[in-house]
Amino acid sequence: MRGGFFGNLLPLFVVFAPLSLLSFGGSNSVIADIAHQSVVAQQWTSQREFADLFALSRAAPGPGSMLAALIGWKLAGLTGALVATVSFYGPAALVVFLAAKLWGRWRGSAWHGAVERGMAPIAAGLFLSGGIAVLKVAPAGLVAWAAAGAAAAALLYWPKLHPLPLLAAGAMLFGLANLLGATM
Amino acid sequence: MNSPSERYEDAAPPLAEVSLAALFGAFLRLGSTSFGGSSAGWIYRDIVQRRAWISDQEFLVIMAVGQSLPGANGVKLSVLIGRHLRGGIGALAAPLAFLSGPFAIILAVGAVYTRVAHYGALHAALDGVAAAVVGLTLSTGISAVARGAGDWISVGISVITVLCVGILGWPMLPVILVLAPISIGMALLRSGAARG
Repeated sequence: MRGGFFGNLLPLFVVFAPLSLLSFGGSNSVIADIAHQSVVAQQWTSQREFADLFALSRAAPGPGSMLAALIGWKLAGLTGALVATVSFYGPAALVVFLAAKLWGRWRGSAWHGAVERGMAPIAAGLFLSGGIAVLKVAPAGLVAWAAAGAAAAALLYWPKLHPLPLLAAGAMLFGLANLLGATM
Repeated sequence: MNSPSERYEDAAPPLAEVSLAALFGAFLRLGSTSFGGSSAGWIYRDIVQRRAWISDQEFLVIMAVGQSLPGANGVKLSVLIGRHLRGGIGALAAPLAFLSGPFAIILAVGAVYTRVAHYGALHAALDGVAAAVVGLTLSTGISAVARGAGDWISVGISVITVLCVGILGWPMLPVILVLAPISIGMALLRSGAARG
């Protein structure tokens, strides 16, 4: 295995920085590219290892794309994890910052306000769509729809309720059902 | 037209004075507890509903602006909310705080995962967590749509978005590109009518 800066760290940057700028609509849109780079193009991980790292990044808190940190870690330890993380989040963050700065210059004009009022209902619709998209592919099927509906109702009814107890309840109910052999 | 805010003259005045330490602490906690990947739902719940640092309207605008730019949603929202509350230094501090918790946790969890990955109940429990997180996302969307209730054009635009992207599964970017000019045009017409 090659070592040092050019061996591992530079390729991590070269792969993750462009993906950062291509991740329109969130980092989920480039997961397929990360898989291709990691398994086929760069051969950083095997297919099996990639699937494990992916599942892991979904179970842990924070952005699902912490996958980048895990790949970097596997390749070059802590330094690799840091380089992959900064490469994947940094460029997009900079673009977002500059866009916000530019956008703010037009505050106060009539069309600036119209853009903000016009975009708000679309954002609301995208929120609901994101939830529905996840439910469509949920392994638990109708049970997942029911559980998500119940959680949404509880959160709407008690606006100050912290979501973590609901997550714990979901984990316990589904985990117990699995242990008792219920078919879902 | 000049805005009255003196610190960041291009931003709407925040609802609350938020110290840099409070901003960092809030996003550190958010990053470390936002299980399931719906960063926007968690951030909305904490920053808008619980802490009331920014308004519903401002959050949705930030969300909509963020949708048309590249990047992980949680990081985009951290940059934009951090900038809104504390300017350039906030735009750096909020995403750093948001990412540092998950970064440490995922490396720690990675070390033990391979030993427990074969338990079926663990996967089922993770499905349960995922379902509850979807509930969080849905409740956020429902609050946002309900905010526009009475304004039938806004509600209609939301419903069409859900139909195209959520139900029919069309790609998001073209849908936004078609709906955005229509929705913005309607808003422009209405503000013109209100003035004239």
